[in-house]
Amino acid sequence: MIVCVAVVGRQNNPLYLQSFTEADDALKLHHIVHCSLDVIEERVNNPKKSGPTLNETFLGLLYPTENYKVYGYLTNSKVKFILVTTDLDVRDVDVRSFFRRFHSAYVDAVSNPFHVPGKKITSKAFASRVTTLVKSFGSTAPA
Amino acid sequence: MEPDVSIETGSMIRIAVIPVGGSIPHQWLREYVSMLSRHTRIDLSSISSFYSEHQKSPFTHQPWESGSLLFKYMVGGAPPSPWEDFQAHRKILAVIGLCHCPASPDLDLVIDQFASVSKGYGSALAKRLFAFSPSDEQLREGREKENSIILFPSADQQAQELQMLTMIQDVAATLLMEFEKWVLRAESTGTILKTPLDSQSNLSSEEVIKAKKRRLARAQKTIGDYCLLAGSPVDANAHFVTAIELARLTGDIFWHAGALEGSVCALLVGRMDERDSLLEEEVKYRYYSVIQLYKRSYLQDNAQRVSTATFELEAQLKLARYLCRRHLVKEVVELLMNASDGAKSLIDPSDCLILYVEIARLFGALGYQRKAAFFSRQVAQLYLKQDNVSAAISAMQVLSMTSKAYHVERRGTNRKQHGSPHEIESCTAESGKNYPQSIISLFESQWSTLQMVVLREILMSSVRAGDPLAAWSAAARLLRSFYPLITPAGQSGLASSLANSADRLRSGTRCADPVLPFIRLHSFRMHPSQMEIIKRNPAKNDWWTDSAPSGPFIYTPFSKGGTTDSNKLELNWIVGEPDQVLVELANPCAFELSVESIYLSIHSGNFDAFPVRVNLPPNTAKVVLLSGIPTKIGPVSIPGCIVHCFGVITEHLFRDVDDLLLGAAQGLVLSDPFRCCGSVKLKNVVVPNITVISPLPLLVSYAVGGDGAMILYEGEIRDIRIRLTNAGTVPIEQAHISLSGRNQNSVTSIAHESLNSALPLKPGAEVSFIVTIKAWKLSLADSGHDPGKNTSGATRGVSTESSNPFLVIHYAGPISHTDEFYSSEPSVSPGRRLVVPLHVGVVQGLRFVKARLFSMEIPARVSVAVPQRVSLNESDAEEITAHSRIDSLVKIDPYRGSWELRLLELELSNPTDVVFDVNVSVQFDTAEFGCPKTRIDHNCSARVLVPLEHFKLPVLDNSLFAKGLKSTAFVSKSSSFAERNTKAELAASISNLVSKIKVRWQSGRNSSGELNIKDAVQAALQTSVMDILLPDPLTFGFRLTNGRSKTENIADASKSVHSDVIQALHQSSISVHEMTDIEVLIRNNTRELIQMSLSINCRDVAGDNCIEGDNATVLWAGILSGISLEIPPLEELVHPFSLYFLVPGEYTLLAAAVIDDENDVLRARARTDSADEPIFCRGSPFRIIVTGTL
Repeated sequence: MIVCVAVVGRQNNPLYLQSFTEADDALKLHHIVHCSLDVIEERVNNPKKSGPTLNETFLGLLYPTENYKVYGYLTNSKVKFILVTTDLDVRDVDVRSFFRRFHSAYVDAVSNPFHVPGKKITSKAFASRVTTLVKSFGSTAPA
Repeated sequence: MEPDVSIETGSMIRIAVIPVGGSIPHQWLREYVSMLSRHTRIDLSSISSFYSEHQKSPFTHQPWESGSLLFKYMVGGAPPSPWEDFQAHRKILAVIGLCHCPASPDLDLVIDQFASVSKGYGSALAKRLFAFSPSDEQLREGREKENSIILFPSADQQAQELQMLTMIQDVAATLLMEFEKWVLRAESTGTILKTPLDSQSNLSSEEVIKAKKRRLARAQKTIGDYCLLAGSPVDANAHFVTAIELARLTGDIFWHAGALEGSVCALLVGRMDERDSLLEEEVKYRYYSVIQLYKRSYLQDNAQRVSTATFELEAQLKLARYLCRRHLVKEVVELLMNASDGAKSLIDPSDCLILYVEIARLFGALGYQRKAAFFSRQVAQLYLKQDNVSAAISAMQVLSMTSKAYHVERRGTNRKQHGSPHEIESCTAESGKNYPQSIISLFESQWSTLQMVVLREILMSSVRAGDPLAAWSAAARLLRSFYPLITPAGQSGLASSLANSADRLRSGTRCADPVLPFIRLHSFRMHPSQMEIIKRNPAKNDWWTDSAPSGPFIYTPFSKGGTTDSNKLELNWIVGEPDQVLVELANPCAFELSVESIYLSIHSGNFDAFPVRVNLPPNTAKVVLLSGIPTKIGPVSIPGCIVHCFGVITEHLFRDVDDLLLGAAQGLVLSDPFRCCGSVKLKNVVVPNITVISPLPLLVSYAVGGDGAMILYEGEIRDIRIRLTNAGTVPIEQAHISLSGRNQNSVTSIAHESLNSALPLKPGAEVSFIVTIKAWKLSLADSGHDPGKNTSGATRGVSTESSNPFLVIHYAGPISHTDEFYSSEPSVSPGRRLVVPLHVGVVQGLRFVKARLFSMEIPARVSVAVPQRVSLNESDAEEITAHSRIDSLVKIDPYRGSWELRLLELELSNPTDVVFDVNVSVQFDTAEFGCPKTRIDHNCSARVLVPLEHFKLPVLDNSLFAKGLKSTAFVSKSSSFAERNTKAELAASISNLVSKIKVRWQSGRNSSGELNIKDAVQAALQTSVMDILLPDPLTFGFRLTNGRSKTENIADASKSVHSDVIQALHQSSISVHEMTDIEVLIRNNTRELIQMSLSINCRDVAGDNCIEGDNATVLWAGILSGISLEIPPLEELVHPFSLYFLVPGEYTLLAAAVIDDENDVLRARARTDSADEPIFCRGSPFRIIVTGTL
């Protein structure tokens, strides 16, 4: 189950952060997302290791923490998508496809002429689309 | 758990360092400890002199050349660990006492104390007591007790250090020998080694052999530990290998792990310098098995009492620290995350604390700032759970370390690190757009949820720790950055915690973090018009002309701060003259903010700023004027303001707020504090280059009798006395007055000479001069004439400020070479301009409504005398007294004839509240005299009549008339040039005429003026000016001749006429049925002979001709019609006739003539073009009253 998805801007500024748990752990999730930036930054700054996968947007498992797994995705415009899940065995393929769909949702939201780049995403359409994505992630894994 | 563990920890000898005797002052203790702790690695080669081999050393492979002992000083000592037997390095193997001699005079006492304290360290193999800075006496005394106390005489630093080194080497040698002893003993006799795990374990159980083997394994492991401590890894490794074998056999997992761990340590110590991937792999492999073994040794049944989890975690941390390098990041992160997961199984909260500290440190070392911050926060939370001050201080310090990662750090402390080149590089590399560095920090400041939590925790911990400044700063940061996210109650809470913290601070404390009022630069006050600086052009006489600003107005009150030209804005401030800057303060919070003082912060030190106190109600912004006086010549830059608010002094930089606003514009910052206070967006404020220049003269103007606006009625003339004072410190050598603004021509005179004569004007000197002003006429725009709206009398017709004229005074001091350094270009001290507005409020005064010209024909009575004729000839004019002339201007004597009296009627109305006296005066060639005053009450109107008869010229002159002739005769021919010329001539003659009429008014005691009616009069006169100016060619008069000589001289008659008026009245009564002799006088007013045919007519009241016709009531004798006459130029002819009236009543006599040989002049006068048309000349009517016979 996905507990949290986040969009983090080019300057590591949060653009969108939505948790999908009932529990009052928003702060914790904020921390997890914030901390995951370390890993992303590290991967971005050391591209040497990921030589063959230079153009790969999917960053894979960033790090496991407590009960969560954190996955990352980096767009060409250096916008980061972060996914926090409680599932212990997640297939990379699922996450990858989730991110791809999430990316297109993000692109649509940002293409809104009323959206100011760099500002937080407040679009309701985006939020509802993300919610459906997140729900479908648990049930129909092979998309 | 222990802090700061690493794989090499196993080879460190722990030495407790204990202060004894009297309390040692901090700085001394610190110095002693630092002297000690320099010696952590003691080379074996250096201790050989202290080492004596009593028996054969068990450390057969001791590397005497390259090896060393490692010391770890535990200042303050440490409690014995229950795991001492398991890992020898956990023992305190030596105790060193530190004594500060001046604090403890009795050395014996110190020795006793040390002995008792060191007794607590049972495992200590060496004990030393070091005493520093002893007195001479103590030195002597101490020499006797050399074994128990070592004195360090306070010699020079070097000697002391040398002695310390020697002593440490001695300790090392002692320890080494003790280790040998211990190992030998252990090898021979064997020892029972236990851990808390074993205490209730199954010794009682079956296999004794296994137990024996297990004991052997443990002994081997311990010997290995000692070998490690003794700096002999090879020996250690041998023992560990045995121990591992035995432990594996006996299934003593825990000790197996310990031995394995020891073997890794031995491996590393033995190959201290080389580090290759092979070794790394080996270490990694072995350590993972160590971790596994520790995990396996975790027994559920005694987990409550004692847990091996700490060993597992320590092993993980050790490995992580060993591997902590960039390219192994993934493994390290995994290890650390596992370790942090293991925190849950820890029982002791302090273990947990240590674990988190270590994890945070390792993450920090990896460059994972955010993770490090996260764990630091965990540490702080653990500290905060402990309820004591020092824990709170620790929490505060840990949190303030994290503040950087969360971008909420304190100003000043971290600023330099913040702007490190590395960061800039990464930022520019990542972003295509180049943001200013300061903006970039705003991006990450969006993790407001986290930031607020961190700041709140810092605030809480610093309150608990009793650090008011830290608390203040945290509260300040919280409030300033996150006020939109804090409820009003929370804001007030923060405000009160700021106030509480400030109460505990000394007054005048400074803090780098600004709090509330957000301050931005609003504008720079340009010099007010009174002190404008003008560049002086020394080559020119009127030096100000080059630099005068272009445009129609030199000064307009609507110009905004003068920031029109933003590119090259230069501002000159003058030493000793106050200058002002406008800043805008905003308080977006829900409480009232009281700024105790705010003033400009200027680092260049040549400006004295004046503090201001401001109160900002909730959610408001205010523009505040900050001022100060420049004290020295040089450039000035204003980075911000110093604010004393909430009891602490802070510097608010304009740049920060600018960045904030820029961020707000880009949506990076929560909100714009100024906008949410309702303040409008400012245009980009241009910060000018400000230079302070040397003193200049300064003129101050003062209108005598009050600077306030004078209220003048339209046309009023008033003197304004203006006093100028040189308020500067430099004399004024040049001054020039000019006029500008609107209604300049209303200033009629300026007394230039009185100003010029006062030059040079010394500092403090005064000069006054008079400016005469004639209030201008209100235009429609001025009066704001809108009858629908503006009906109130008070505002009606007062001219606005903008219509005032200005006196512009350019003045300058001596041309001086202020700066000797730039000798190549002699600098000219600039001049200044003073603009003195002449505050005149013009109100509507007497109102001229219209002018009308009308003529009156009042028939004269035929009497003995011919009516007097003014200006008949020059001699006559002189003889007639002025008095009679005045009379004749207005009074109409019914018995005196009139030649078509022409009157100019001026209709005047008085819309004001005061009474006006109007005085019309007419200027003649020689004298000027007026009519009696006409009084016009308020809200009334009146008509003033101005008789125009006296303007008539005596002679219808050809030369003079040529103008008139042209103007009229050639209208149809339209010879345009000539026409225009004549029109101009005509206009000139009219205006000459008009200018002779002056309408003056007076109101009250001291306001008087002149009504400007020229145009109106001119318009009124335009059509009939000829009739007014020019006399008729012929004039006619009638005279009774009965009882008088017929040849009576007209001149005589005119002389006597005045006295004879009354008499004539009686004499000239005519009665019916009586022959009345009448003469008609015809005068030729031209310079030419006139031939004409005269006819005389008599009409009755009804206007019927009563001489001819059926009902003729008058009989006559003599010729009455068709009389041919010839009159020489300027002569008179008399034609006598007699009338006989049949009916009493009133009759009118009329004389008329048809001129026969008309010339051009006459034709022009008669305004006729055709030569055929006869010119008809008609005289004024004369009345005859015929009385009945009584």
